[in-house]
This record gives sequence, structure tokens and C-alpha cells, in this order.
Amino acid sequence: MESVNLKVSNAPFVRSKDSIESVMYNVALALAPATVMSVYLFGMRALVLTVVCILSCIAFEWLMDKARNKPNSCLDGSALVTGLLLALNVPANLPLWMVVLGAFIAIVATKHAFGGLGYNVFNPALVARVFLLISFPAAMTNWPFPVPFSFDMMIDMETGASPLGILKTDGVEAALSSLSLMDGFYGRMTGSLGETSTLALLAGALWLWYKKYISMHIPLSLIGSVFLFTGLFHLIDPSTYASPTFHMVTGGLILGAFFMATDMVTSPLSIRGQLLFGLGCGLLTAIIRLWGGYPEGISFAILIMNSVVPLIDRWDLNDRKALNQKKLKTT
Amino acid sequence: MISEAFIPAVASLGSVALTLGLIIFYVSKKFHVEEDPMVTIVNDILPGVNCGACGYPSCGQFAEVLVETKDSSMTCPVGGTDLAAKLGDTLGITMSEPKPITAVVLCQGDNDTARETAEYLGIQDCWAATQTYVGPKQCRYSCVGLGSCIAFCDFGAMRLENGLIIIDKDRCTGCGACIPACPTGVIVMQEKKAERYVIACNSHDKGAATKKACDAGCIACQKCVKVCDDDAIVIENFLAKIIQEKCTSCGKCIEVCPTKVNCILLEEDLKEAKQKKAS
Amino acid sequence: MKTFKTGGIHPPESKFTENIPVELMPVPQELAISMNQHLGKPAKPVVKVGSEVKKGELIGEADGFISANVHASTSGKVKSVKPHPHPGGHYAMTVFITPDGQDEWAEGVNTDPVDWHRFSREEIIGKIKDAGIVGMGGAGFPTNVKLAPPPDKKIDTIILNGAECEPFLTADHRLMLESPEEIVEGLNIITSLFGGEARAYIGIESNKKDAIETLTSQASSKGIEVVSLKTKYPQGAEKQLINAITGRTIEPGELPFDKGCLVQNIATAVAVYEAVCKNKPLVDRIVTVSGLEIGKPKNIRALVGTSFRDISLFCGNLKESTNQIISGGPMMGKAVYTLDVPIVKTTSGILFINNAGIEKARERACIRCGKCVDVCPQGLAPWLLANIAQLREFDEIQLLGLANCTECGSCTYVCPSKRELVHWIKYAKALVNNRQKRKSA
Repeated sequence: MESVNLKVSNAPFVRSKDSIESVMYNVALALAPATVMSVYLFGMRALVLTVVCILSCIAFEWLMDKARNKPNSCLDGSALVTGLLLALNVPANLPLWMVVLGAFIAIVATKHAFGGLGYNVFNPALVARVFLLISFPAAMTNWPFPVPFSFDMMIDMETGASPLGILKTDGVEAALSSLSLMDGFYGRMTGSLGETSTLALLAGALWLWYKKYISMHIPLSLIGSVFLFTGLFHLIDPSTYASPTFHMVTGGLILGAFFMATDMVTSPLSIRGQLLFGLGCGLLTAIIRLWGGYPEGISFAILIMNSVVPLIDRWDLNDRKALNQKKLKTT
Repeated sequence: MISEAFIPAVASLGSVALTLGLIIFYVSKKFHVEEDPMVTIVNDILPGVNCGACGYPSCGQFAEVLVETKDSSMTCPVGGTDLAAKLGDTLGITMSEPKPITAVVLCQGDNDTARETAEYLGIQDCWAATQTYVGPKQCRYSCVGLGSCIAFCDFGAMRLENGLIIIDKDRCTGCGACIPACPTGVIVMQEKKAERYVIACNSHDKGAATKKACDAGCIACQKCVKVCDDDAIVIENFLAKIIQEKCTSCGKCIEVCPTKVNCILLEEDLKEAKQKKAS
Repeated sequence: MKTFKTGGIHPPESKFTENIPVELMPVPQELAISMNQHLGKPAKPVVKVGSEVKKGELIGEADGFISANVHASTSGKVKSVKPHPHPGGHYAMTVFITPDGQDEWAEGVNTDPVDWHRFSREEIIGKIKDAGIVGMGGAGFPTNVKLAPPPDKKIDTIILNGAECEPFLTADHRLMLESPEEIVEGLNIITSLFGGEARAYIGIESNKKDAIETLTSQASSKGIEVVSLKTKYPQGAEKQLINAITGRTIEPGELPFDKGCLVQNIATAVAVYEAVCKNKPLVDRIVTVSGLEIGKPKNIRALVGTSFRDISLFCGNLKESTNQIISGGPMMGKAVYTLDVPIVKTTSGILFINNAGIEKARERACIRCGKCVDVCPQGLAPWLLANIAQLREFDEIQLLGLANCTECGSCTYVCPSKRELVHWIKYAKALVNNRQKRKSA
């Protein structure tokens, strides 16, 4: 009679259709407009770079799962997103072997060395980018000029500094003349693959927000604090400091604010924590941009704040404990 | 040219290191905590496992209290009689000898003998399983077989084999850490004996119910009670139990036990016992 | 539309049986009546093997303050009294009755309805206690204890729980459509116990429009307010129901009577009416038999002690592809490991499902997405509780609100990493309790 094979598990017996895969692939989808834009602006080289980056990330993930004797999850989407983000963070003419090295740093050193998905303290794509920047400063700051639909494989591309680079070395006037705000918004400027087109990035971010995968606390507090800080100094001395709108459309601010700082694993969970995180990132970004040695500060800012996240979480934890302690005493 | 960069760097870093080293040396001397050297000696003799079997949270604490009180009744079950002798020599007192004890799993219901309920797909932990339902095995007194106790053993004396926990008698020190780890209470501490007979079943179900749940369960048929000349076996709540103090290890009970797999166990490996029964 | 403030989810409702009228299930060949049908100590069997019992006769006596009586569901002979699997997952002492086919009530039991106004407050509570009435929403708290809160707690709000927020379950829905008078009468009896000053409400989720209409017209003249609640899980949980209807929050460590509220399930109200007015003990209930793996999903009225096996046969038999049988609803129910378990007073549904995900589901690392925090109706951080439970660090887990978790399952429902959040929390609760017991021992 007992022809059925019963299984015992715990309630609930229905689950939502969400999974790590659905979250990750949706993030990848949100980055699609920026990727498409990058191919439009920088040509086939951009596509090749992106594909190589993603494939090497997935390959390293597979390798690490095997080495650590864990069930293989290289296709769960997290390696794809890391690869995509890293690709969008580097110039289109970066040598491919550097891209693969970046993938190694991101997946092996930053993610798996800390325990794998969910355990990393630092954003893998950002660590890889910063590693490449510090190790190969020339290659990482030689930004090609956008040439729509170019099939040039970067043999001799016209390159130059990014608008922020010009701002750092030549001052406000030179920077403003190199770029019109509209160009900045649409992306017709030098920069990494993904950071140039503010429009494409915003479109993707709105999609993520609609699907409730990111909340706006971090991006808005981050961008808001950059805006206010740079705006303050621009008011004080417009000849030395560029306008806040210039800062909005240049560099990796939008990419960083909406896609890197909001990475779930490395950002705080509480609203208060997220606002603080965004504020901290924004202030550090602005400080580095205005007075630091590097023209772009968002990567460093986010990484520094990543290291503070466990402290923020502990602050929330202690608050919860204190609140419950109080409640337990009064009842 | 090299020396231009070399010498200042080495000199500056070297002097910083030297200064810091001197500071550390000074601080370690000034803020040194006075400790009875005997405590350090005793602590070095102790096994250093910090298992808690002696009743103190760590070997260090045991050493401190022992040196302070010279209480000869304090025992370390892990170190056994050898350790008691060494401690006694060191402190100049006669330490009481700990009774060698070992943990015993009162169950023989492995995947072959115990009947299954349904496949358990929750958190693979014995407590989690018994909280959800009776467990993967029909007998609610059995060893659940998911191995949660293994992590509690500091001595690596436990392993999971075919859905049943096996305790390595040579490694078990009787520290007792595994006992709170078991939700069904199937692990007990017993004195180590050369030839120890124990009824390896924990089921208080009536005979028919026990038989239905497991081939290796005690059905309280009382055959062993009748054959024992030393009155060493009693039936408590449908389960036979051997009173170790009265048992003379004559082996008569093991011959009359009707359950398929020997549920009266010798101080031997399970495999050997099965082979003996088979031959 | 009213709803509770924090959290909540909206799983697919799957109310396949909401339009199927209740079908009376005939007396089966054997009844296994568990002594453990309620919260608290199991009842003590008071019948011997071989004795003849009549329907509604006492077979188990309440043991202690938090306990309830158990009665024979039909007339017959006591075959045995032994431990037997219980739908809660463990064993319980069970009285097996072989029905004689007469289904004859005991003397003075199940009379014609009498006017309850002539009974005093103590007499009413006594009748409820004798009849073994327990909370039929799932918890099974003895109703006579619940209706007699400590004298210093003033009750000013009485709520009947008609929310039935769990997917699949429609037992309460059908009861509201088919027995509205009894529900209102039961509510009146309960309200009368509190000096007539308490305000009475019936909370019903908005997906049961016909029930809202029926009860509104029934209750309109009687000073009872029928409240339409937003369909959101877990609207039927006590604390969330109180928050939605009255706006009050039951703080951690508090019980509803601390805020002047009393909640009873709608079926319990009917049982109260029948106990007081007809001297009928609790011996049967409506059960929703549903799920995609049962031949004919329906709502049945079955005797307490009917086995799941007999019920499955009565409902068109289960399909071979069934891999889980749930007692209760899919969010908070229990998976049974055999069909040979009987229904108890609190079994609101039996679901036959093929849970495809269960085979491949494995817990993955927490990705800190925060969805569980968003949906927790108690405002907890389930990811934190589960992570700490997994590390077995129980020292401070109480301070993170472990005891406030109502185990509703909303967090586990949304988790993308498929973590068994509720199970870890239950595990932590059991081990913390165990620790405290050992410390005090």
C-alpha cells in the first residue's frame, strides 16, 4: 500500500521562485544597457574584453569549487556578474592577459579566499580593478576615445586621459572644455567600458529598483553626499573645483553607486547602516577626487567602506540586543 | 649609488625596530604577572585538551586549583592513572585514581537493521531531526544516525558508519562531552572493563513494537535474566540492563539472546562481534 | 482595508476547494484517538481495553491546568491503548476504537439547543472545559483556560479569527458560509463572559467576499463588526490580527490579554456554542483535503481519530507522484512520514503535494539580501538568528528576539539562498530550552 515515497522536511513547503540565480541574472540584465552602450562606443574590442572577462571569472569559479570540494556553482550567476562588472570597470584597450589576471584576483583572492559567495568582505570586482590600477597604472589610465561601432582591435587607437584625469592634472577649465555635459550623460567620453554612459546605467538601475533587488538608500546617499561636498567647494572656489554636475557624469560614480556599492554581500542591511555607508563612500570619493593623488576615488572609497561594514552590522546587532534587553526587563 | 638608498633605509627601519623591541622588553618585564611556577609545571603535565571532563573549563584552571588546594580527589579522566601518578609525584601527594570510563552507544540499529520512517531532508543534524519528527528511524529511542555528536568529541573517537555511531574505545577518554550532544540519550558512560557485556539497546517500547521498529532491539523476552547465575540482568520498562558490578562476563546471556544481530556486546569491535556470532 | 503594519508576504492562494460544500465523511473502520490533541500535558486515558464506549463519552481526562479532555468520536469498543504516531511527528498515547456502526451518542450528550443565557459564567466555562474544547486554528490551547484570563487583565476586544491566511486551506471559509448563525451565537457566548462591555469583531481576509457578506448580514444587528482584512500572510496570526483590527501591538513577552484582547478561531466559536447549548464535546471538525496530488480535493467533516489513509481513499486516492503529505497548511504545517496517522482536533487540512524543489534544494550561503528582514511580521532579522544558530552560539541569541519568532515561515518563503531559516530558529529554541533545563536541574 505504501507505494508513495514520502519525504520529511520542515515548513514552509512552498517557496518563492526567487533564487540566487534569479537575483544575479537580473543584475546582469540591468547591466546590459551599459554593456551594449560600451560596444557601441568602443567597438568590438569591448565585446571581446567583456566576454573574456566573464568566461575567465566563470572558469576560476569552477576551478575554486573543485579545489575546495564544494558543489559546483559556477553558473549561479555571481561569477557572471563579477566578470561583467570588472569588464565595465576597465579601459577598452586593456591587454587581455591583464583582464584574466583581474578575474583571478576577483574570484580567487577576494571571493573564495574569504569563504566564497556570501562571505567576502570586499567587492571582488572592485578589488580586482584597484589591483590592476595599482599594478599597471599606465595601461589602466590610458583611456581610448569612443569610436562608435569600431572593429578596431586596439592596435593603434587614439587614447588620452579621462575627463577626471584632465581635471586632476590640468584644472577645471581644461576639463570642462574636453567635455560637454550632454556628452557625459550619453557617454561620448573617454573612460572605462561601463562608466561612460550615465543614461544606460540609470536605466539598468531603475530596473533593479523596480524588481526590488536594490534599495535607493545607498545610491542616493552616496551621490547626494558627493554632490553636496563637491558643490560646497565649487561654490567656495569655482576656478579650482569643478561643478557638482560635472562630477555626477564623469568617472565611475554612477556605476559605483548603483552597482558596486549596492552589492548585497558587502553592504549593510539596515536602513540606517546603508545611509551611513553611502555617506561614507560619497565623502571619501569626493575627498579623493578633490585632493587625492588619484583622479577617481570611488573604487577606493567603496573598498574602505566595505571594511567598515562589519562594524556597522555590529552596531545594529548591539542596538537590537539593547532594545530586546530593555523589552525583556520591562515585561 | 645603491648604498645611498640602502643605508638610510636600513638604518631608519632598523632603529625603529630596535626601539620597539626595547619597549616591548621593558613592558614585558614591568607588567609581568607573578605566577606560581608550579602551576606552569602542572599545566604542562596535563593533556591540554580543555575538554571539561574534570569539571573545570580548562586544563589551566584545573592546574591552578590543584596547586592551590592540593585536593587529592581531583581527577583528570583523560589522563587516567598514569597522569594521576605523575601529578602525585610532582606535588608530593597521593592523587586518587580516576575510574577509567568510556562512552557507549546503546543502539545497534544501523541502516540494515533499523526500519526507516521516511527520507529526512531537513537540516542534517540529530537535534533538528528529532525536533521535526521521530527521526529517520522508526524507533524513537535510537541513535538518529546523522552524526551531530561527532563534532563534540575532542579526541576523534566517534565515527558514523552505516547510519550508526561507533565509538573507538581506544580513543575515548570518558570526558562526557558527547552526552549532551545526543537528543535521544542513547550514549551513556560506563566503566572500562576488559570484557564488558552491555545490552546495546535503548528502546522502552513493548517487545512487539520494538521488533517492528528494529531487528536488533531488546524485546524483553527475559531469556537472559533467567540464564544469568549472578542476577546481573534486570528488566526495566521493557528493556534489559546488565548491572556491571555483578556481571562476571561468563557469556551465557549472549548465547540465548534471540534477536538477529547480537544486542549484547563485548568490549570488542562491532565487526568482530558479528563475525563471532556468525561463526 | 485594514492590515498589519510590519512585513508579510502574498504566496499563491491555491484555494481550489473554496466552492466545494462540506461533505460528511462516513464513520471509518477504525479510529485512533490521540491523547495529545492540545497544548500542554496529554490527557490520561480513562478507559480500559475491551470496554464499550458511546459517542461523546470521556476517554481521556485532562491532566493538569493546561490540558483538555478527550472524547470518543463514535460508539464502539476500545481495541487498544498504546503509543502511536501523531501528525505532529512524534508518538502519543492513543486510544483505538473499533466502531460498532451505530454512531450512538452518550446519554445527555448532543441534545437539542437550549438557551445559554440561563447559565452562569462559571457554568459556561465548566461546560467548555468538560467538552474538551481547544483552539482549532492549529495551536490547540485549551479554550476554558483562554477564556479565563487573570482577573487583573481587562478584556475589551474580542476577535474571531476568520482570516485563514494559509494557502490551500478553506475549512474556515466553508464554515463561515454554512454555519453563520452558530458562529455569531458562539461569539455572543464568549462576549458574555466579559461583562458585555467588550467590543466584538470578526476578521476575514478580503479573498473571501461571500463569507464577509454572509457574516455581515448575520452579525449586523448584534453589535458585531465584521472587518475585511487585506489578503496578506500571516494575517491570521494572533498578534498580526490584533494589530490589523485594533492597531495595538503585542510586545515581546506579552500575551493578547495584556493589551485587553482575546482571539478565538471561528471553528472554536462554533465548538463553544455546541458545547454550551447542545452539550456536545469536540469530536469532529472540517478538514480541507487539497493539493495537486489528491484525486478529488474537497472539504470534509471527519471524526477525530480518522486516519489520513482513510481520508485519502475517501478523496479519490493520492497519486504516485506524491512526495509529501502535509498536516495543516503549507506555511506552518508538518510533513507526516506515514499515512497511518490520525487527525486531531487541530488538523485544519491535509495536503498531498509533489514538492519538486525538496530533492534538489540545498541551503546556500546567506547573500545578505535582506528580504527576510523586509517580510518578517515581528520585525526580526531571521538571517542573523539562523546564522548564529548554525554556528551554535546560543549565549546571546535570546537577546536577538529568538522568542518573538512566531515561526510563520515568511522569511524562509522569500529566501533566495533557500536557507531553512525557520528550522534553524526552531532548532535554536529547542537547544536554548534544553540548556536552561540542564542549568536549572
